[in-house]
Amino acid sequence: MSRLGLIIQREYLQTVGKKSFILTTLLVPILSILLCVVAPIMLSSVRSNDEKVVAVIDQSPGQSYAPLIKDVDEFHFVAIAPQDAEDAHAVYIAGGKDYYALVVIPANIDSTLEFSIYSESSVPRSFSREIEHFLRPALRKARIESYGIDNLEEIVKDCDVNLHVNSVKWDEQGEESISSSELSSILGLILALAIYMFVLSYGAMIMSGVVEEKTNRIVEVIVSSCKPLELMLGKIIGVALVGFTQFAIWGILLSVGGTIAAGIFGLNMSPEMMSPMGSTEAIEAMGTSGIALDSDMKEIIQMIFSIDYPLILSCFVLYFIGGYLLYASLFAAFGSAVDQQQDTSQFMGPIMFFMIFALYAGMFSMENPDGPLAWWCSMIPFTSPITMMVRLPYDVPAWEIVLSLGILIVTAFVVLWLAARIYRTGILMYGKKFEWKELIKWIRQ
Amino acid sequence: MSSFIEVADVSKRYGNHVALSHVNLKVPDGSIYGLLGPNGSGKTSLIRIINRITHADSGNVLMHGRPMTDDDIRHIGYLPEERGLYKKMKVQDEIVYLARLRGLSRHDAIVRMKEWLERFDLGNWRDKKVEQLSKGMAQKVQFIATVIHRPPLLIFDEPFSGFDPVNAEQLKREIIRLKDEGAAILFSTHNMSSVEEICQEITLINHSEVVLQGRVDEIRHKYRTHQFRVLLEDGQEFDYQLPKGMSIHDAIAQLNAQYPLAGFHEVLPTMQQIFMQAVGAADKLKVNS
Repeated sequence: MSRLGLIIQREYLQTVGKKSFILTTLLVPILSILLCVVAPIMLSSVRSNDEKVVAVIDQSPGQSYAPLIKDVDEFHFVAIAPQDAEDAHAVYIAGGKDYYALVVIPANIDSTLEFSIYSESSVPRSFSREIEHFLRPALRKARIESYGIDNLEEIVKDCDVNLHVNSVKWDEQGEESISSSELSSILGLILALAIYMFVLSYGAMIMSGVVEEKTNRIVEVIVSSCKPLELMLGKIIGVALVGFTQFAIWGILLSVGGTIAAGIFGLNMSPEMMSPMGSTEAIEAMGTSGIALDSDMKEIIQMIFSIDYPLILSCFVLYFIGGYLLYASLFAAFGSAVDQQQDTSQFMGPIMFFMIFALYAGMFSMENPDGPLAWWCSMIPFTSPITMMVRLPYDVPAWEIVLSLGILIVTAFVVLWLAARIYRTGILMYGKKFEWKELIKWIRQ
Repeated sequence: MSSFIEVADVSKRYGNHVALSHVNLKVPDGSIYGLLGPNGSGKTSLIRIINRITHADSGNVLMHGRPMTDDDIRHIGYLPEERGLYKKMKVQDEIVYLARLRGLSRHDAIVRMKEWLERFDLGNWRDKKVEQLSKGMAQKVQFIATVIHRPPLLIFDEPFSGFDPVNAEQLKREIIRLKDEGAAILFSTHNMSSVEEICQEITLINHSEVVLQGRVDEIRHKYRTHQFRVLLEDGQEFDYQLPKGMSIHDAIAQLNAQYPLAGFHEVLPTMQQIFMQAVGAADKLKVNS
């Protein structure tokens, strides 16, 4: 095996064998399931048990509105005798301050369309919305009837215009398919986030690995048997392979977990989607459930299939490699320039700045995919891996993708070369206070 | 004797600081060569140049008479002064990794690793992580990793530091054994008594220049101060300074007339004294100039 191969192998086996790697690989899926599935279910099942009594004072002539307000969530409504609005506070006192709030429906609510809520604490917006929701249909009906026109109800309903957009995209054969750029840009955003997370966490791993070798002084032994460039490349490639392994494990866990979940919940998924996962229970479950795909479901599935996967995934791989190589080189160079783990924090700042900026630019370009910010950020190599991934579903011209990838790859290799020069000197330099000026000198050497 | 490695007129500067100035030396096969000098004199710079970790500004490093290439570092085993191993690796994995990095096959690496661990009584520690070893044991592991690929040139930077006397003795035996097997050994140290014991030749570097070079016995003769040790029949001993201009023959005759003489031998200066004298003289010169 070549020296580079040996270094990659060591880096890979050492990291994959670490307890921390095994723990994160297993814990992240568990935690994300907890966070995305279990936590919302638990939170929504947690309701405060103490009932809140709300008094309703209906001053309208027929007192027909109070009964419309039904108990909702923890709120229990009681209609009490109509009083003057000025006396609301007195009622509250008389009630021993037991009421959570008082809802006062004035006599002329038909014309003013106003009602009041009195309370000692501020009431949640959802609470007042609920009451609006109960009152609105009756008020609307009363208004329509007040015009005394026959069939007005139907006329008004007919005038309610609700537009529905079917965005239809032609494929190469001119066949129609329903596309959704929202859906595919969400996919883009997820992939961009994956790049972001990967680059940041594995980049930091490279940096701490370099600093560890330096503080351990093992580096002097190693570079007396191989070139510093080999050591640096070995580390970058080895850590990347660790990352791929982690992603592969997560991918397997996700598909296995998804299949099991589909089996348990009898989710209605198309057989084409399920079959690659090859879970017989899931398909059986679907067969027995026998629910026909409703139209919404069909549309969503059609959208999922309309996404240009080959383009997005191949770009993902290329941007992933380019972005990783670029940032990993920087992390390695910075790691070699310091003496202690603590000193690395000063480099995390600028790197984080670029990456977070790229993420914001990416999210912003979902709104305006052809705007100048989106365009420039998908050309600048430090932001393009993230921004371009989000923009991709919006039919970015091929030349832009090629140009952006070209700039990224070229920059990544230039930075790798510069990093190798810094690294070569840096790893053997001890006890020097870090200065940017010094880095430039190392590059020139 | 052919010289395995030759340093020819090597100079190196770091910015304004001259690290090495026109250094020449030759390390023959099957010998132990001492590289001496105070801290900061340029020893480590020279070692790094020989190892091709850094490059000389001018001058050459020759291996068997031809300029060294990057590939030649396989022929060198280097034990740096600052010891370092991957702390989280198992002893056997670490040695095998470093051995393979220097071109041994996996099989050979494993066979020799076992051999060496037994020799250093570390056989039971193979499966332990390096961080679990004592400092002395970790030093031995590092020594094994340095010599396992049987390089024809070995460079030891302060090999005895951190060893107790028993282990230092064991290490010394191994170094001499490696020399006897034909390796050229470049040995950098402050420990002058070990230099007298095991080095055949030395170079003393001070302020980046060679101030003293040659065979250890010749140097000690050159720096003789005509100090003698006189032994009497009753067991008494005392030092005797040969007066200027007097021959040894006359001195013995004179002493023999005065005392019941039992022994008379010259006391050569120790390397320690020579070191102090050479470095001190150079420093004095520097202050004056």
